[in-house]
Amino acid sequence: MPKWAMVIDLNRCTGCKTCMVACAMWHGLPPGVFWTIVKWAGSNVPQADMATIGDYPSLGSYPIHNICNHCDNAPCVKVCPVNATYKRDDGMVLIDYDKCIGCRYCMSACPYGVRVFLWEDPSRTISDALRRVKSPYPYKQAPDSMAEQNYIYGYPLDHRDNGRLVYRPVLKLRRGIVTKCDWCVERVDKGLKPVCVEVCVGRARIFGDLSDPNSDVSRMLAEKGPNAVRRLEHLGTEPRVYYIPKTSKPRILGEVTS
Amino acid sequence: MIKLSLATSLVAALGLYVKPRLLRRVDELSPIQSEEVKIVKVSCLPNCTESCWLQAYVYNDRVRVLMPAPDYLEPEYTRGCLRGLSQVFLWYGPDRLRRPMVREPFLRWCRGEVSWEKAVEEAAKLRGSPDKFIEVDWDIALDCASKALAKIMRDYGPASIAYTVQVPGTAYMGKGALMRLASLFGWSSMHAYPLNGDLPTFWAPTFGVQTEELETYEYLNSKLILIFGSNFTVTRTMSARMLVLAREKGAKIVVIDMNYPSVANIADELILINPATDAALALGIVYVLIRDKLYDAEFTKTYTDMPLLVRLDTKTRLKASEVKELSEYAKNIKIPAYRELYTAWDTRRNKIVIVDPRTLERKDPVTGEIYDPALEGEFEVELVDGKRVKVKPVFQLLKDLVYREYTPDKVARIISPSLDLVPKYIDVIERLAREIATIKPVAIIYGASNWQWYNGDLKGRALSLLVALTGNIGMPGSGISTYAGQYKIKWPMWSWWGYDKELTKIRGVAATRRPRWLNWSIFLNYEYRQSEEWRKYRSTEVPWPEKGVRALLIQWWNPFDQHNKALILTRKARREHPEPLDFIMTTEIQWTTSVEYSDIVLPAASWFEKYDLASGPLNPYVQITQPAHDPLFESMPEIWIFKEIAVRTSKIISAEWTEEEIEKIIGLKKSEMIELAKMFYPDPELQRQEEEARMAGRWSLRIARDIANKASELAIERLLEDGRSVVWAEGVTANLTEGITLEELKKRPIRLKLPTPGNRQIPFWVQINMKVPFPNASYPHPIPATARYVKSGRIEFYKDEKAFLDLGEELPVHKDPFEECLYKLYPEDRGKYELVYLTGNSLYRIHSTHSNNAMMLALQDYKPKIYMNPKTMAKLGLKTGDYIELYNRFGNIRGYLVEDPGIHPRVVVFYQGWWRRYTDGTYYNAPNYPWIKPTEIIYFTPGVWEPNTKWNNTLVAVRKLE
Ligand code: SF4
Ligand code: SF4
Ligand code: SF4
Repeated sequence: MPKWAMVIDLNRCTGCKTCMVACAMWHGLPPGVFWTIVKWAGSNVPQADMATIGDYPSLGSYPIHNICNHCDNAPCVKVCPVNATYKRDDGMVLIDYDKCIGCRYCMSACPYGVRVFLWEDPSRTISDALRRVKSPYPYKQAPDSMAEQNYIYGYPLDHRDNGRLVYRPVLKLRRGIVTKCDWCVERVDKGLKPVCVEVCVGRARIFGDLSDPNSDVSRMLAEKGPNAVRRLEHLGTEPRVYYIPKTSKPRILGEVTS
Repeated sequence: MIKLSLATSLVAALGLYVKPRLLRRVDELSPIQSEEVKIVKVSCLPNCTESCWLQAYVYNDRVRVLMPAPDYLEPEYTRGCLRGLSQVFLWYGPDRLRRPMVREPFLRWCRGEVSWEKAVEEAAKLRGSPDKFIEVDWDIALDCASKALAKIMRDYGPASIAYTVQVPGTAYMGKGALMRLASLFGWSSMHAYPLNGDLPTFWAPTFGVQTEELETYEYLNSKLILIFGSNFTVTRTMSARMLVLAREKGAKIVVIDMNYPSVANIADELILINPATDAALALGIVYVLIRDKLYDAEFTKTYTDMPLLVRLDTKTRLKASEVKELSEYAKNIKIPAYRELYTAWDTRRNKIVIVDPRTLERKDPVTGEIYDPALEGEFEVELVDGKRVKVKPVFQLLKDLVYREYTPDKVARIISPSLDLVPKYIDVIERLAREIATIKPVAIIYGASNWQWYNGDLKGRALSLLVALTGNIGMPGSGISTYAGQYKIKWPMWSWWGYDKELTKIRGVAATRRPRWLNWSIFLNYEYRQSEEWRKYRSTEVPWPEKGVRALLIQWWNPFDQHNKALILTRKARREHPEPLDFIMTTEIQWTTSVEYSDIVLPAASWFEKYDLASGPLNPYVQITQPAHDPLFESMPEIWIFKEIAVRTSKIISAEWTEEEIEKIIGLKKSEMIELAKMFYPDPELQRQEEEARMAGRWSLRIARDIANKASELAIERLLEDGRSVVWAEGVTANLTEGITLEELKKRPIRLKLPTPGNRQIPFWVQINMKVPFPNASYPHPIPATARYVKSGRIEFYKDEKAFLDLGEELPVHKDPFEECLYKLYPEDRGKYELVYLTGNSLYRIHSTHSNNAMMLALQDYKPKIYMNPKTMAKLGLKTGDYIELYNRFGNIRGYLVEDPGIHPRVVVFYQGWWRRYTDGTYYNAPNYPWIKPTEIIYFTPGVWEPNTKWNNTLVAVRKLE
């Protein structure tokens, strides 16, 4: 039985958001809904292209990530009244979309704010986004649809874990349920890496089996382990995502800014 | 010659609007049902330079997901970014064009209902609006287009039809098809390189080439990487991986910029300098290199023009033919017309020698002796007429220059954002010089935003000094690189782009048939063409069509947002300009801003609905793209569209013009023109088959597409064939596409067989290691066309053409970016507009592509933003979230203000590419003006030496909007 874990080395992250978007496209998330987030620290406009901290010319920049930690002691699992959210033996915390009743207890239980509730049908969320594209093309089908009405993106095939529906493109899910990062269970079960790891530009995101000392994650932690931190460790949630904090900052005028 | 089909009469009966036909011919448009997910390998082909090789997950005949495809020899090259992986929002999005469209006045003209003049006048009023486009059959649209093109050619000549092949490296075949069509009739090609502002104009005068660049995998061999004004993690999103890896291997990354760019996030050092002062910084470093003798004297003497003697009286380089003791010998040395015999001072024999441009060996061509040229000193020589003149080596002149103007304290004052920091900047200059001289190899990345200035050429020439003086050229992991755009033709492609082959066959003697050329800034800048400067400096090589430009053809290009300098293009389109446009035709995949300015719109296949061949500057791979499924709706591959226009236009011409007219205007015999049009597809038999199906009433989109795909494959094979034997440099040939077949390319990208160890893309490896004179060939031009820019066969820093001397730019110098353009033309603007307006590239777009990608829009909260330093904002009484307008005498742009302390206090940033629909109808290019610098018009080599657009040479003021 593998023991899946993820390491994110913030020193290698270029802040390109490819992981964020590739994840959304793979899982069929409507525009604006993300299971993992990368943004720059400091800006009061979250959608800014870039944000820096400091006072010109003493500046620095810090990418911030968020993703489900697949906690070993996951509060979200404990509170789910219907066992829709569960922890698999390999460490993945998954949601059975057939079972979820949308009570949102898990959302308040999760201290990391990584769960996404579908307030409306995802097909409607995408319609709103498409309307905001403001296409003046007179011959399109409708102001809020793709060129072909029924097209949806995302890996098209459902994935079941012992019968439990753990993956379906979110655009095909109904409203009123909770979704979140599934560590690409539909890929990992086939021997592939999660999407965000596969696409990562800086090879900042690493995924693998902690029980195998030769896996990428084990080697990374062996090398940079002393620096590694997990988020809100004091809460005892035992996250399976390790962060290597950003230690290097550009020297400016011969000085290292803080 | 319009075939009046049922649809035409229907359109006629209904008048203006025709509702979209929701039902399509079922055989062609219903998707194949399947439960399997099939993987098709395709290429992402915007002009981002990466051309990522992707795997498309195809399900029910549509692409559902795109992921990087791992087929490169070096796994580090496997890549695909946020934009490319979400491109389904473009091709399947609401803006996807379904059928051809013709603007109503032109449709009426095609039907003979109104005069041309009336149609042109009415169409001009509609340009810029989405109104009165009529969806028509391909037949109607193509006949109408052909009829209009024929008319314009007859009235104004073929040169009056201007077009651009945007970045051919993204589609050598499909974009080449337009080139082929233009070759047939002789239209004017506007090279996209200077049009996009991407042409680094220092390359030709310095190295004699269009560009050369280090492949990014080579960064793993670099020890010091200097990035001057390039936001590499954004604009070369995926290649940034190589920087991360290089750094982990121990390379030091230094970013030099006016703002804090996101690439600084992975850098070891950031040096913030004032806007457009990079040349000063470079020359300050040169000062230290010379003062402390940190330069590589051997390299400098061998590969650069530093030893060449310059006359102090005329400031021109001393030619052997001018020197009494050398002139007789010079007569006997056979050199091509593009070379010159210059001179140096041999320190061993203490006499003047001829510098042989045929080799980089330091060997006296008269005696065969090895010489050691002086870099410093002043000498006196006797000329043929007995006159004695003083001369100095270029190096000595450079030394005089930097000692006079660019000492670290002077430079620090130019580059430092504030006076109190000057001492620190002096330290930075001293330290950087020592690092550049002692850490090897050094790689410089010079960013486009940095040279898109009036004096961008000077910066590039100054930065080149850093690598040339320290011997960082021609070695693994070294050199200066510019990676702007996929313009590079990796080998000559005339067998597909032109009609040389076919015309030679028809005539039985060697013949060429290629398009004419034109420059975008010259096209736009009517005023400059009336100026004294134009008359004084314009070489006769610089083309301008006798009867002006009357028609603009747009293919995969969005000039009305992206190149609408000072709104001149809008005025031309709306006929509010002394040189108005009669006709605008666009071949596009989606409804862009430029579609709204067009009279005829032809829907094209997307990147994963057709075959094409691609390559980019970041690595030496070639790759194809291939159909994951049929083109959506009635869109068609470009090769088919342009073939149809070739055939239909030639038919109209041959039916309506006299034989003499055809010969006079087109320059072909009538029979030749008809034959060539029939040979548009590489195999005329394919064209005949389609014609046959048409005659028999069997023609369908499916048949046309199948045949077009076969023709595309043949055209790609023909292109590959062209690469099998090319001249790489003087006396060096290469088989670049050796063993590369279409079948293999369907599986993976393949490395070109460059004439370097391991086929690695290392600039000037041949020159430095084989002592072959500069330059490499810049395809499709033959060596002489560009070698004349470095007549000595060496890297040249001293330019003695009159324009350079008049401007005081014989050596690279630092100059204020506005003095010789804006303030010269409009002195009253001094002090009126004080913020430097930068239109950098966004993470969320490739230029203006992806502007309408809903996923990218959501990431930006659907709002165009303007970035400013908080201190500047406070001074102006502005706050984050304010809706503001930036403006100057040329135009304005709107957006929401965001504070960012990383922006230089005198700078304001608007990330380019927002389509006009998102900016209240304003254009981010409106505040820019198409400046032309005299040195840019003293020669003309398309895509190599011509005026470049200067995106950042702009000042604006700000006002708050309610
Ligand atoms: S991060 Fe939140 S959602 Fe993920 S396992 Fe932990 S508690 Fe649950
Ligand atoms: S893909 Fe990698 S480098 Fe890019 S934002 Fe995500 S973690 Fe950072
Ligand atoms: S947009 Fe550029 S970097 Fe992104 S996937 Fe396409 S080619 Fe690659």
